[in-house]
Amino acid sequence: MTTHELEEFLAPMRHEYADPRSLILPALRYAQGDAGWLDPQAMAAVAEATGFSQAYVESVASFYDRLYLEPVGRRVINVCVTLSCMLRGSDEIFEHLADYLGLDGEGTTDDGMFSLHKVQCIGACDRAPCLQIDAGQQIGPLEPADATCLVDDLREAAAPARYDR
Amino acid sequence: MVTLTINGRSVDAPKGTMLVDAAKAAGIEIPIFCYEPRLGPPVGACRMCLVEVEGMRGLQTACSTPVAPDMVVNTDNEVAKDAQDGVLELLLANHPLDCPVCDKGGECPLQDRTFRFGPGETRTLEPKVHFPKPLELSPLVALDRERCIACYRCVRFSQDVAEDAQLTFQERGDHTEIATFSGDPYEGRFTGNTIDLCPVGALTSSPYRFVSRPWDIKNTPSVCAGCSMGCNVEITERDNEVKRVTGRPDPNMAVEEGWICDRGRWGYPALRSADRIDSPVLVDSVGRRKVLLERAVAEAAGVLVNRDARVGILLGDPITVETGFLALELAQRVGAGPAMVARMGIPGTGLGPMRSLPGAQMDDIDQADVVLVIGGDPCTQQPVAELRVRKARRRGARVAVFGPRPSALDDSCEAMRTVPGHLMDAAGAIRDRLDGSQRAVVLWDEADLAAEPDAAALIAGLVQATPGARAIEMCADTSGPGLRALGIGTDADLLAATEAGEIDVIVTIAADPITGPSGDRWAQALVGVGTIVEMASHATAITGHADLVLPLLTPLEEEGVLVSMTGRAQRLRPGAREVPGAAAAWEILIGLTHRLGTPVPDRTPAQAFSRLAREHAPFAGLDYEVLGRDGAVITPPAQHDPDSARRDPQGEGLLVIACTPVFGDATAHRSDALASVVEPTRVGLSPAEADRLGVRTEARVRVATPHGEAVLPLEVDARLHEGAVYLFVGDPAQRAMRLLPLDRGPVRAVVGVAAREEVSA
Ligand code: SF4
Ligand code: SF4
Ligand code: FES
Ligand code: FES
Repeated sequence: MTTHELEEFLAPMRHEYADPRSLILPALRYAQGDAGWLDPQAMAAVAEATGFSQAYVESVASFYDRLYLEPVGRRVINVCVTLSCMLRGSDEIFEHLADYLGLDGEGTTDDGMFSLHKVQCIGACDRAPCLQIDAGQQIGPLEPADATCLVDDLREAAAPARYDR
Repeated sequence: MVTLTINGRSVDAPKGTMLVDAAKAAGIEIPIFCYEPRLGPPVGACRMCLVEVEGMRGLQTACSTPVAPDMVVNTDNEVAKDAQDGVLELLLANHPLDCPVCDKGGECPLQDRTFRFGPGETRTLEPKVHFPKPLELSPLVALDRERCIACYRCVRFSQDVAEDAQLTFQERGDHTEIATFSGDPYEGRFTGNTIDLCPVGALTSSPYRFVSRPWDIKNTPSVCAGCSMGCNVEITERDNEVKRVTGRPDPNMAVEEGWICDRGRWGYPALRSADRIDSPVLVDSVGRRKVLLERAVAEAAGVLVNRDARVGILLGDPITVETGFLALELAQRVGAGPAMVARMGIPGTGLGPMRSLPGAQMDDIDQADVVLVIGGDPCTQQPVAELRVRKARRRGARVAVFGPRPSALDDSCEAMRTVPGHLMDAAGAIRDRLDGSQRAVVLWDEADLAAEPDAAALIAGLVQATPGARAIEMCADTSGPGLRALGIGTDADLLAATEAGEIDVIVTIAADPITGPSGDRWAQALVGVGTIVEMASHATAITGHADLVLPLLTPLEEEGVLVSMTGRAQRLRPGAREVPGAAAAWEILIGLTHRLGTPVPDRTPAQAFSRLAREHAPFAGLDYEVLGRDGAVITPPAQHDPDSARRDPQGEGLLVIACTPVFGDATAHRSDALASVVEPTRVGLSPAEADRLGVRTEARVRVATPHGEAVLPLEVDARLHEGAVYLFVGDPAQRAMRLLPLDRGPVRAVVGVAAREEVSA
């Protein structure tokens, strides 16, 4: 992704924000779409396109859990561990998934296929315990066995052209 | 005025005042951490200042709530106290409570407020968040992330005052940490101010780490002598050593506003550098040996009393006005008749019109609608002035920078780089900017305008014709304005007399003529001088040739008055006396008049100052009491030296643009604390000019002017102008200043690749 592309993406929305700082978020999210995480070049492009320093852009990015400053897997599995999900067994789901993926807790598989994360409430308590793939749909309620099926399906699926996380 | 009630008392405050300030004026303390008006509007980050305002829902932050008529505020009732308890308990929830090993302990607002307003105990049982500690934010600033209360002060300073865009917050919640982009070192000219601002022990000075406790130290308010800005500082002393220099806690709002540059802050280790002169030295038939100060003064008097001795006194920089005055007194009492007294500096030729403009103080910049910087580079030569200029720009003033040097202000202000030697070209643009302005402030550079008298006359006319416009001279020397006010002129005549063999004894005071402009001429001339008496704090190029060396105290150790570039006479107060064998120049001069049998009546700098104030019109009516805490403004006379044709000599070679960054001066080179930021003495060329000469960065080049030559490292920089060679001077070991003419006027230099043997040497 070039700075120019990013600028084109931002152009139609610039006027929507009274404070130009607000542009940084859509810019970061767009920039993350390419590689699935914010590599230094992506961060530099955002700084250039928005006119803020790289330090400031990084500061904003670091605030948000879903903006990744380190490489993550092709697909990110976010298991909700907040109250509703926790009470309905999210621990078990998480452990089961980690085992299945060969991970010791949160992390990324060696083949770079999956990242497994614990996240706070994703607003789907009615479907607890629940998880989310990238920024896509929330899936639940789940049994451990459902979760492993889900992973198998994902492994088959083609990688998205652009990531939405 | 607005009348409101705070804790049952009726309080008056001007409209727009924040509750904290209104309460403070009434003697009521509302605890704060993040509130700091010098950083801009309040941000309400820490919640420490919560108070109850009757009729308003919830509690209000007193730092961001302006007073309103008939407001009823409670800062010490049950509700407010409960809030203070709660906020402190939360601020401390992850705090490591390591006060016993924290440098801030004993002078820590967090500690003080916890004792005064805090709950006394915690209910938190959970493990605390831990960070590895400490982190080096830079070689000078250490960060302990566990102690940070996320008050935003340091971040706001970096983003909104220094505008260096370096410090930011990363992550959030209890994992929030201060950081730079990708962990790069925090670089800048003002980084140390974040240490003064930090209300906890999160940011500390690495050179001061574990050095002292607040109850073992003495703090003395004084003035930095690093440049002509004259920033007010506080000197921390322990065991007769300067351990620290900080901004003054009660800032001088008309000068530095409490900000100081890192050169001013961390220059003090130079007091203990290896080349400090720790004892008087006498050279006579017996040989070269150390003697007691009394003996050395007696020897000097013995030389000066000689009826045949024609004496010259040369003053360097920085020199207090008392020392200048006592040097004039001594001159009347020596040998064959009045001695010549001169200062190393720039003659005022052609500067009369500029110096006659109405003067401004630094805080006038806060009100200016137009701010012009003409010549020089405040960012490197009078650093703290840069912060005022930036502040004016943020406030919406029109700021423009003109001159041959690239400047850190270029990115954010209108910048017009003029062809070296053609400041005149900026006249039209200057006229445009001044047109219609009501309260313009023009900062102009002494060296650059002295080098172009025609431009100076023209620009002075433009400013003069603008109603309400005022000027600030960015002086090349710290002591220039003070010595000028005493009528002490520059050294051309003294050098000429020395060359003509008309001087038998030369006394130098904090002066290093061989390293300074036209140093080679001085070196030659001094060969013919019978006796050289040197007073200096550190070894200089003449120390080895002097017949008598008298060790001086430095400005951080002595008492006296310096006059800043805005004409503000301010008091130096001795922070420590590091070298027992050394004395202040004023002490030695008074001692000499006693030995000569014609003592001056003064015993202290205060007395000398009162007397000089009576005799020298610019100081009329002043004494130490009148100078008080924030100094008093004087108007040094313009001083018209005879025209010495300070024009571009044309001809062969490139015009020399001399740059004197304070981060590259002698003190910066002597201070080990500044090793990571010191600016090397070097030659700067534009890429085109370097190509033409066939040289690359890291090459060493030979620079030759009619005044001397030197082999120096080269830096190629695209921001530099073609047709000029930029000479960054300051390191006494490199002695590059001597390539300039005595009056530091325009000169051309031939630049070439250095021969191989010179490179290895
Ligand atoms: S490091 Fe100090 S000044 Fe900076 S945010 Fe933390 S507590 Fe405030
Ligand atoms: S700007 Fe000048 S006077 Fe102020 S602290 Fe820096 S060196 Fe000292
Ligand atoms: S607690 Fe899991 S979705 Fe709300
Ligand atoms: S001082 Fe008011 S919120 Fe920090």
